[in-house]
Amino acid sequence: MTESQEPVFPFRATGGPRRMTAGPLGEMLTEYAARGLSGTVRVIGDPGGLVHFSQGGVVAVETPGAPGPELLLSRPGQISGSSWALAYAAAAAGGQLTAELVRRKLIGAARLEALLRIALADAMFVLTAGQVDSCEAEVAEPVCLLPLDPPADVSWLLAETSRRLAVLTTLPSQLVPDRDRVTAKARPLDQRARLDDAQRDVLALANGRRTARDLAFALGRGVFAVTGELDRMHAAGLLAIGPRRGAAPVPPLTGPLVTRAETAAAGHRAGTAGQAEAVREISPPRELPRRRAAGRGGAHHAEAAPSGSALLRVLRLGFSNPQPSDGGH
Amino acid sequence: MSAISESIGRVLRTPGIRAVALVDMGTGMVVGSAGDQTMDLMAAGPGLAEEARLAVRSPGPGVSVDAATVTTMTARSLYLTKILEYSGGEGLLLYADIDLAQTNVALATLQIDRLSPELLAS
Repeated sequence: MTESQEPVFPFRATGGPRRMTAGPLGEMLTEYAARGLSGTVRVIGDPGGLVHFSQGGVVAVETPGAPGPELLLSRPGQISGSSWALAYAAAAAGGQLTAELVRRKLIGAARLEALLRIALADAMFVLTAGQVDSCEAEVAEPVCLLPLDPPADVSWLLAETSRRLAVLTTLPSQLVPDRDRVTAKARPLDQRARLDDAQRDVLALANGRRTARDLAFALGRGVFAVTGELDRMHAAGLLAIGPRRGAAPVPPLTGPLVTRAETAAAGHRAGTAGQAEAVREISPPRELPRRRAAGRGGAHHAEAAPSGSALLRVLRLGFSNPQPSDGGH
Repeated sequence: MSAISESIGRVLRTPGIRAVALVDMGTGMVVGSAGDQTMDLMAAGPGLAEEARLAVRSPGPGVSVDAATVTTMTARSLYLTKILEYSGGEGLLLYADIDLAQTNVALATLQIDRLSPELLAS
């Protein structure tokens, strides 16, 4: 992508769980698609996530708010842990995991594509149903474990997302997937016998502490599918909804804002857009801090990744460049 | 070429079948489609999934639904929804729009039954 095609400047937009469309994020993704982006769009918010593009199509969406395809593939009856490990090791040696899974006949190509598409749509739904603060693009080959091939068309993805958001607004239970906890109601044994396996699984886990999102992770199912299931079970009198989990804390707007002056792209974005607004650098560190033996004395110090958060950088500086004391030792 | 398109394309080659789609049973999302696109499959998908869920749950526990098929017939068309797989609330459906004037319904459904087991495996 040439610099003139550099599409993004950060935007700030907020929305609640009752939004009907993907809003500004959808417009931004449409613009990336039109420009044939190959790279990753980092969506900052709650839950936030990453949207991986390849030549204008979406190959994967990652968010902590929805189970990824790896988890969906680990459901009972899908791919066993040992088979997955072997395929993963073989793919790590220089191949694609999707091709390796099919080559080993662990899953059919059409079935895998369907599962990846389902996981991708679910993650996009969760991403847009949450809070979106800003987004920014990194133009590079997308790095994701299980890319969808061929990539999903953005207009299709956004239409499906809008459909899901619209369904969410019309649920009789008004269930909010990442907020409302659900509790199984006591039922007579004969009524429990009429439940199917999926409903029994949900009731076994609906202990008043889990939300639809939590259940989706526990069951290895999509958040939207579980939300629909919970709504139907609520209507059937099997579940009680509530109490609602508190709103997630929003990062304070005070404090130092760090412009992405380190990157030419960010400088270009800020310059062309004339934006006074800066992007708060809240990206997670690319590598987790590690402990390392400091010497014979067995002392340890933390080593943060170079691109870590401000706090980690402070910690790293504090440990690796100790200030001389005034004591004259 | 998409593996899904290739797979459902084989069904579409059956005489008299106007459109085919693969639908996610958990969400009603159309995962892939081929053929005549005049029908709004995105709007129809959730209804098809809901019908299939009812079909799965109506027999009661312990009854196999592996071969469950839901059909709707009009004067000119047969709409067939076949459950390809279902487990723990999740599954995939094959939807086919069959033109009654162009084919023998029995032969078309037989052909779909023959192709179904291989659709997701290939």
